[in-house]
Amino acid sequence: MKLLDKYNRVNLIAAIIIMLITGGIYYLAISSILINEKDKALEVEEQEIFDYVKLNHKLPQVFESPDQQISFKQVPKNSITRQFINTTYYKKYNEPESGRGLISFIDMGHAYYKILIVESKVETEYLIQIIFGITIGVILLLLLALVITNRLILNRLWQPFYNILGELKLFHVSGTRNIPQLDSSVDEFNELHQEVSAMTTRVKQEYQNLKSFTENASHELLTPIAIINSKLDTLIQTENLSEGQSKLLTDLYGAVNRLTRLNQSMLLLVKVENRLLKDEHLVNLKALTEEMIIQFEEIFQSKNLNISYNLDEKQVYANRYLMEILLSNLLSNAIRHNYNGGEIRVTLTNECLMIENTGDEFPLKQDQIFTRFHKSSHSEGSGLGLTISKQICENFNLSLDYNFKQPYHQFSIGY
Amino acid sequence: MKILIIEDEEGLRESIEAYFQEAGNICETADSYHVAMAKINLYRYDCILLDITLPGGSGIEILKTLKKNNNKDGILIISAKNSLDDKLEGLDLGADDYLVKPFHLSELKARVSAITRRKMYDGNNILQFNEISIDLSAKTVTVLNVPIKFTRKEFALLIYFIANKGKVVSKNAIAEHLWGDGIDLADNFDFIYSHIKNIRKKLIEAGANDYIQAAYGMGYKFNDK
Repeated sequence: MKLLDKYNRVNLIAAIIIMLITGGIYYLAISSILINEKDKALEVEEQEIFDYVKLNHKLPQVFESPDQQISFKQVPKNSITRQFINTTYYKKYNEPESGRGLISFIDMGHAYYKILIVESKVETEYLIQIIFGITIGVILLLLLALVITNRLILNRLWQPFYNILGELKLFHVSGTRNIPQLDSSVDEFNELHQEVSAMTTRVKQEYQNLKSFTENASHELLTPIAIINSKLDTLIQTENLSEGQSKLLTDLYGAVNRLTRLNQSMLLLVKVENRLLKDEHLVNLKALTEEMIIQFEEIFQSKNLNISYNLDEKQVYANRYLMEILLSNLLSNAIRHNYNGGEIRVTLTNECLMIENTGDEFPLKQDQIFTRFHKSSHSEGSGLGLTISKQICENFNLSLDYNFKQPYHQFSIGY
Repeated sequence: MKILIIEDEEGLRESIEAYFQEAGNICETADSYHVAMAKINLYRYDCILLDITLPGGSGIEILKTLKKNNNKDGILIISAKNSLDDKLEGLDLGADDYLVKPFHLSELKARVSAITRRKMYDGNNILQFNEISIDLSAKTVTVLNVPIKFTRKEFALLIYFIANKGKVVSKNAIAEHLWGDGIDLADNFDFIYSHIKNIRKKLIEAGANDYIQAAYGMGYKFNDK
């Protein structure tokens, strides 16, 4: 739940509860005041009756007044207690209305009368209703104002926070993007921004150090490898090598070869990640793919792989050298993880370039295949091929996805 | 052929020198920027092998001096720096080729041969080896005036062999020369064998001698006998 919604919810619930309580209190207070008024009017009327009786020693004449009804009734002595009641007020030809009544008594010596004075409460209730209605209206208006201002003010107030959050989402440790300057008058946000900026700079710095270490180490390794390689080339010129010795030499060549490839892959990865290979132009994917397939021809044959392809015309804006590496890596994988007599299919359409191969019967682990040095158990590769491929795709805003569709492992580059 | 090897790494320099000398070339060496500068200002070479990172200065400066003086020496840059920018810079400045360390000596030899051929036989692109005649621009092979059909890879392999005649060339080097980076996938180099078999067959059928020998199971040797 968003901060704003959470805040609004708490705020609104509290406001509504408080308003309900105060509304109730308000209602009770107003109605009790008004009823009190009514009761006073009834008492005045009662007093008038008493005064009349005292003066005239007889009951006053009962007459119908528009909002008051008085009735007398002779009852046994001392059977009445004086009390105010809520009762019904009957009016001629009209619906009964609610009314407030006062039951009292008068003792005239020879007779004992019950007095019932009833006044209509319609006016009072109407007043309460109006007052209550206005109050509710004001409350609703207030709530609405609260919600709107909250939304506006909070949104604006939290804008710097969302800006920082957005920047963090875009942050990539190998990217060139820095967290931009923040323009806020809120101390907390400024502090947050400062810390976030400092942290990203630090992280990037450390990452750069790590990368330049990789690059330097790889470079330094190249010279000894070059020497080993050249010495091996010199050594095989020697006549009279035994079979055992030549086997040793072949193994040494193989090992040096792997070392070289690993080094080159690491160097390439550093370069691709740092986007050091600029030189971008339109690359004809169809021609390039055909070229790569021809390049791998003998290897397909030696593994008895059946390659079929269906290529449409497609150009992408990229670096040709890197696209070559990308295709070469994906094709190499398709060959490496295949079985003798397996199948490779290459499809180039306007949506994607897909390379499918038969191989293991189980899908690869999506979340691991693109990580560094992840290799399947029997792989001879450096474990960097797919990481490099993924990075190349990222450089040119291409997507690289893996799918398993029995029996094909599919790698697709989407543009 | 007179070659100058500018390389500060002793082990590598010695290997290169030995490899070229055995094939009958004259080699001189320089292990620093200043020695190299002195030599290129005094003498002329058919080909200069130039390392970029040198004690005392950059190989790029040597290249610039050579170009400024309008020397016709062939220049092959050998460097551990394999970034494309370096490559382009070197070639833009007038280097003839660029080889990234580590490399096979046979590959180096093939590249040097290509450069010197271009320099020496300007316009004339016929490579003659005994009875075998190769037209490098038309990419055709003739033996005793009989044209032979060679595939692109067979053609490249034949030139590679001739450049390294008398030397054992490892299967690794052949594979890398022909297939580049993709080759590390191959579990074995059987497909090289079939290429070699084809070349031998085609040459012998056209009446040429059998020059290609297998060498101790780890490579091949093109013998000038």
